[in-house]
Amino acid sequence: MRNPLNKRFKKEIKSEFGKYLVLFLFMTGMIAIVSGVNVAGTSMKKAFDEAFTKYNTEDGNFEIDHDASDATISSIESEGITIYENFYIEEETNFDTTMRIFKNREEVNTICLMEGEFPSSPEEIAIDRMHADNNKLQVGDEIVIKDKTFTITGLVAFPDYSTLYQSPSDMMFDALKFGIGIVTSEGFDSFDNSYIHYSYSWKYDTPPANDKEAKEMSETLLKRLSTKVMLEQYIPAYANQAIHFAGNDIGRDGQIFTIFLYLVVVIIAFIFAITTSNTLAKESTAIGTLRASGYTKGEIIRHYMTIPLIVTLVSALVGNIFGYTLMEDFAANLYYNSYSLTTYVLIFNSDAFIKTTVIPVIIMLLINFFILSSKLKLSPLRFIRRDINKKQRKKAIRLNTKIKIMKRFKIRILFQNMPNYITIVIGVFLATVIMLFGSGMKPLMENYQDIIVENTICEYQYVLKAPIPTNNDGAEAYSVASLKTPERRGKSESINLYGIAPDSQYIDLNFEKNTVYISKAYAEKYKIEAGDTIKLESEYGDETYEFKVNGIYEFPSAVCVFMDIHMLNETFGYEEGYFNGYYSNEEITDIDGKLIATTITTDDYTKTSRQMIHSMGDFMTLFLVVGVIMYMLIIFLLSKIIVEKNAQSISMIKILGYTRKEINNLYIITTAFVVIASLGISIPLVSFVLKYIFDFAFSGFSGWLPFYVPGSVYIKTFLLGLVSYAVIAFMQIKQVRKIPMEDALKNVE
Amino acid sequence: MFLQIKGIKKHYGEGDSRIDVLNGIDLELEKGEICVLLGPSGSGKSTLLNIIGGIDDADSGYIAINGDKTADMNEKSLTLYRRKHLGYIFQMYNLIPNLNIKENIEVGAYLSDNPLDVDDILKTLGLYEHRHKLPNQLSGGQQQRTAIGRAIVKNPDILLCDEPTGALDFRTSKDILKLIEDVNKKYGNTIIMVTHNDAIKNMADRVVKLRDGVIRKNYLNEEKTSAADLDW
Repeated sequence: MRNPLNKRFKKEIKSEFGKYLVLFLFMTGMIAIVSGVNVAGTSMKKAFDEAFTKYNTEDGNFEIDHDASDATISSIESEGITIYENFYIEEETNFDTTMRIFKNREEVNTICLMEGEFPSSPEEIAIDRMHADNNKLQVGDEIVIKDKTFTITGLVAFPDYSTLYQSPSDMMFDALKFGIGIVTSEGFDSFDNSYIHYSYSWKYDTPPANDKEAKEMSETLLKRLSTKVMLEQYIPAYANQAIHFAGNDIGRDGQIFTIFLYLVVVIIAFIFAITTSNTLAKESTAIGTLRASGYTKGEIIRHYMTIPLIVTLVSALVGNIFGYTLMEDFAANLYYNSYSLTTYVLIFNSDAFIKTTVIPVIIMLLINFFILSSKLKLSPLRFIRRDINKKQRKKAIRLNTKIKIMKRFKIRILFQNMPNYITIVIGVFLATVIMLFGSGMKPLMENYQDIIVENTICEYQYVLKAPIPTNNDGAEAYSVASLKTPERRGKSESINLYGIAPDSQYIDLNFEKNTVYISKAYAEKYKIEAGDTIKLESEYGDETYEFKVNGIYEFPSAVCVFMDIHMLNETFGYEEGYFNGYYSNEEITDIDGKLIATTITTDDYTKTSRQMIHSMGDFMTLFLVVGVIMYMLIIFLLSKIIVEKNAQSISMIKILGYTRKEINNLYIITTAFVVIASLGISIPLVSFVLKYIFDFAFSGFSGWLPFYVPGSVYIKTFLLGLVSYAVIAFMQIKQVRKIPMEDALKNVE
Repeated sequence: MFLQIKGIKKHYGEGDSRIDVLNGIDLELEKGEICVLLGPSGSGKSTLLNIIGGIDDADSGYIAINGDKTADMNEKSLTLYRRKHLGYIFQMYNLIPNLNIKENIEVGAYLSDNPLDVDDILKTLGLYEHRHKLPNQLSGGQQQRTAIGRAIVKNPDILLCDEPTGALDFRTSKDILKLIEDVNKKYGNTIIMVTHNDAIKNMADRVVKLRDGVIRKNYLNEEKTSAADLDW
């Protein structure tokens, strides 16, 4: 015979329909998002990983300052690698972006055609799909690159540029202002006045078995290559963010979302457990009678656990359906909006199902089982006597009687509902993390943009291939060299060292002998102060360098070092009077483009923030919405339980003659106090935690992005919390008002 | 007349399930009177008490205290009416479970501009040594004393007692009744006590017997005895 108690489920769900509906909707939404991100992520990651073989992705690339001769190539290939020309030029477009142009590839890093056709004539070009999307370009459109007009014949994805990093040392990719494209050989040769980057890709004859071996092999290769050619750049595939960043990010997102889902499920499990504990108190005589009649503890536990488990299971199933359909597209679009990924096929995988269905159900089951079995340890008689609070035989906490009774009353309510309030505090904290993340990222990026623009050194910064003079009056020569930091967490960072002219009109620093200044970004990232000594290593050699830091230069845009130009030239063995760059507030037009390696404008420095705002914009809105919903849901459910639990007392004080205002003051204001205090504590705490996470996360990137959330964001988050709570408080006031005085007259025994 | 009850009618349900609980109750009480309302279950005595207490509405008729009719009062005025004039004692005490004994009484004292001294009341009720305990740490009798303390601390004009000894044993019941009688003597409150224990009528100034929503008997008790002498 079926357990007759099961007949209650329908009634219970009906009577608390609103509560179960919001819990169901929230969990379904969360699971749909996480499932969507996981499914899209797993499918895209699989396609991403397969692309290495499918498109024969390089094992690394290096750049030299000239076209390598056949003899040099043979010598290099004798090191157990095969090298492939991958020359490119970089020019400005008529839509204010920089286009890196390659010849079509046939052997290594072959191209994935996503739409249209490959170029077949010198006037045709195929460009990166995402760069085209970001600049609203389509197949058939015409674009101008360095005075030459090209017709876009195709939109493509490059396996070696799944993330559009212009330089390996860039902190962030830039799919808005930096694009890549392929043209025919004739089309490439038509850029006869452009500086050619002699880049070569290599493939090992015997591929490394793992990252560790790849690292060892690349270090050995670097040493050998350094003896054969003058390296301008050397980047093995495993360290190339343009190749790996997207794959790592896709995997990381799935993990972060999944952990977040588990935290939410834990909170909801506690909400269910608190609700069930409340129900146990209300139904204690019935439970005692059932236990006395022979119902086992297990049967009672199963009975009270069923609804939470059903709600979780149904939410997980419905959430997964939405996850595999609507949210999968949404999540995939988010990735396609950020990365130049090749096409993928949706894969149904058990991993996502386990993460979004099995584990949430297990979490719900364990927490509820643990709390219920602990509550149901008492004898049937204790239940019949309504003596179910294990702590109630202890004396009440003494409160100073000088405190007015209404305040003491509120303190007692606080103690009585401590589990609810603790859950509210934790819930508000988590919701604040999400809300602050959602609302703080954009201002953070905008602030970064502002301080970069404010502290810009000049309008145009040129890096030259050789010391070429200019007639531009405002141009000031400098010399620059590159070193790298010692490895930290397996990574080192390329650092530019600038030799500045004495009495520079662009950089106002008084250099003292044998000391340097470091940029503010350097100081903040590596926690270095004036007086410290920094240690750097040569990028492609064994030399180490030590510099005493004289001070910090207000330059947040890059992690770099400034010193006197004579000191730099001497340190790196350059001739006296050597320079290889210009600072200028006007564009320099009298230097051959072939001799300019790089031109850096303020636009280049702001690409990090620009790209992050672009690719994270939708995510940020999603975070903010989820944060607010979670915040409101947790407070609503837990404060509702507090009112329900105290219905009898509320009814009684109504009879005694307490006014609505006084009752609200007791039962609503106490919760309001907890909510506001939680918000007030959470916001600075979350800010601290976010700063820590942010600093930790960005310490793994090149460059530096200071954590700064303007005060207005904190105020807005606080106000958002207050307004959201005001809505809940209004609902609670209605709930309290509805409690009839007759409740106190019911025989509760 | 201090308390006037005139033509009170009350029904619950409609159609076939309609029950006329009170069918026109007329009653007048003087200040300081102890009135015992007797009657079997379903006679309407608790309903009448709730209507007097302003926690239930009458279909028709009115209650007036010193001429102020409750039927004319809005929710706010009714709250003030209960606050100013009434004290309530229930069979199941209805103490606030998370407040200690003293605080439960202070909850009543808060409502009055001139409350009685809480510590004096605790001593009078024999609860002083238990004042820091929670209600569930006390016996039923002690809890009911606390409920009495909460009701009388604001020195109400009318004390409404709904089966105040219904859940207590004989000895404790007598203690409680004696306490109510002492309160009446000391503070001069009008006391309306609902019970179905016939023996309690002996301590009343006025006895009102209800059956089927109608007053069957309403008389002054000429042979009033002390609560201490009650027996059943």
